[in-house]
Amino acid sequence: MKILAVDTSCDETSASVCNNDMILSNIVSSQVDLHKKWRGVVPIIAKRAHQERIDPVIELALKRAKTKIEDIDVFAVTVGPGLAIALEVGIEKIKELSIKHKKTLVLVNHMEGHIYSNFTKNSKNNYFNNLKSIKFPLLCVLVSGGHTEIVLMKDHGKYELLGQTLDDAVGEAFDKIARPLMLGYPGGPIIEEFAKKGNSEKFKLPIPMQRRSDYNFSYSGLKTECFVRIKNLKKEFGENFHNIVPDFCASFQKTISDSLIFKVKKVIEKYKPKQLLLGGGVVVNNYIRKRFREEMKKLNIDFIAPNKKLCGDNAAMIGVCAYYKIIRKEFVKNIEKVDRLPNIEINQKVSY
Amino acid sequence: METIKLSDTNQEEVITKSINTLNSGGLVVYPTETCYGIAADPTSKKAVEKLLKYKKKREGKAISVAVCDKKMAKEYVEINETAENIYNNYLPGPITVVSKSKGKVDKMVEAEDGTLGIRIPKYDIILKLIKKFGKPITATSANASYKKTPYTIKDILNNTSKRQQDLINLIIDAGKLLKNKPSTVINTTLNEIKILREGDVNLKSPKLLISKSERETKDLANSLLKNIDIGKKPIVFALQGELGTGKTQFAKGLAKSLGIEQNVRSPTFFLVREYDIKEKNIKLFHLDTYRMFKQEEFDDLGFKNMIEKPNIIVIEWAEKVSKILRETRDSVELIWIKLYYHEKNTRKIEYSDKIL
Repeated sequence: MKILAVDTSCDETSASVCNNDMILSNIVSSQVDLHKKWRGVVPIIAKRAHQERIDPVIELALKRAKTKIEDIDVFAVTVGPGLAIALEVGIEKIKELSIKHKKTLVLVNHMEGHIYSNFTKNSKNNYFNNLKSIKFPLLCVLVSGGHTEIVLMKDHGKYELLGQTLDDAVGEAFDKIARPLMLGYPGGPIIEEFAKKGNSEKFKLPIPMQRRSDYNFSYSGLKTECFVRIKNLKKEFGENFHNIVPDFCASFQKTISDSLIFKVKKVIEKYKPKQLLLGGGVVVNNYIRKRFREEMKKLNIDFIAPNKKLCGDNAAMIGVCAYYKIIRKEFVKNIEKVDRLPNIEINQKVSY
Repeated sequence: METIKLSDTNQEEVITKSINTLNSGGLVVYPTETCYGIAADPTSKKAVEKLLKYKKKREGKAISVAVCDKKMAKEYVEINETAENIYNNYLPGPITVVSKSKGKVDKMVEAEDGTLGIRIPKYDIILKLIKKFGKPITATSANASYKKTPYTIKDILNNTSKRQQDLINLIIDAGKLLKNKPSTVINTTLNEIKILREGDVNLKSPKLLISKSERETKDLANSLLKNIDIGKKPIVFALQGELGTGKTQFAKGLAKSLGIEQNVRSPTFFLVREYDIKEKNIKLFHLDTYRMFKQEEFDDLGFKNMIEKPNIIVIEWAEKVSKILRETRDSVELIWIKLYYHEKNTRKIEYSDKIL
């Protein structure tokens, strides 16, 4: 069964063709040369940017998959969460295509898509991340630019949101700390690079939300603490401030990981999952992966992480997630009524 | 096309041949600490055109350039504090630093917003080559667009047509390169203090509050909102203040005051988050304009559609879009809020008082 999936939840326009859970093609706009206007490293999150990109991206996805649009059996699209004006571009396009070709439409939650980035296969029917089997209950730790969530997955399509950030997502926290450290944008990859050369024990930063009994995260306090410390360090070290930047990056990265692991361990104690998986753009960070891998080994819990190429926003994860929804027959009944759901939670049912 | 196998003894010869090729507008395939790159003289239109022809379909896509040191970089781009920091600490290494171009390279190499990506490869002979050449070389990977990242010369030859290969004049073969991932691209132009200051709004006889906690900041939002007639005009709260001064806390206070039960999270990544107050038919838009380059992008985000009564809009880093906000002044209720770090974990908050 061939699925054409589209994701326009934020600043990437992406389209993918999947055959069941096997990825045939996966096009993400930032990797594609489209038009001079729409490139550069700072995302231009505009409706018209997506509008200009969507057709060529879909066309390329079909071409690379050597598939004609007439041969597509199911159309799938991200319905939320994300930026409303961006989401609606993908939704309108897919609605139009599924009506025109009289084919079934499936709506996918973007965060659920990040979970399913772990369950994607290549065209030879092998999992990209060498996954052996999926065992429930499965604990999902989703860490991206706009989200930080702990989700208990009881079965395919059955989720309980156990905790999430109350203010900044981890990706945002990285970007913001990179500003006073004068590291540019985006903050995640450069902080990781600098941290490699730094001592993570050098600065003791407070692990947020330790005293709270819930599973939520908050990074505003840590952010302020870092900002004040950086100010003082700049005064103290003057011209030599840059010498301590790697140590600060390493300490910050460690504290973020500690905060995630602290809450995740609490959840594990209570819910006793068989496996733990990571998902989301921040999960390309090797240090965070390593920390989770080591902790899970100690706890004897299977550790699963997506292939690095599938961590960021992409449509292939949406296509594979749609495949599992097709098995459960979760189709859209009233295509005309479908509308974007920018604030949808992972456990929220969509009824169109 | 000539191929030279790089050895310990032929470095001088390789450098001389490469420079001759570059000077005559030719293309040179060269090794770096990431993958094989392809060099052209980025100041020569003819050479850049040839490169684009080789890369295929790359028209209009920015191409980064490699320099030998910060001094050379400074001739081609404006290096601000953030860039200076990265140059001093990290380069040479696999990081491409994006700065404002001084326009000395061909237009096709720059990005449309007038920026240029620069890197300093951690590869000795290439640094020597650039130094001797006296100007940058292009630093794009040697594969054609969409093709495999090349770590061997074979990767290149197996994935290009004869016509493409004919465009290459010289190949410096250093064997199989370590499979390091392509360089991380970092933009340094967002942190321009200058841009932020330009948009800074001076409040005439502002009201003042010292907030001792997140709660007091939220309470201020609540009491300001209570004094405005919601529905008469769209209401815009324009927030200015450094990181961590409580801008999002203020927005949380507004949301709470409006009866929004949903948790108000930072809008930094999505640029805008929207909340519905269905029973009152009001929408609250929470924006962060920090990542915006041009004020026009603010319109692209749908600002004009947001400013409809009885909507409420709260904008973080509003100094970045102060021009547009001033233009809408008559049709909206505009309240400026400035937040500062103050002594002992407190914040000083100034706000325009025309409403109180």
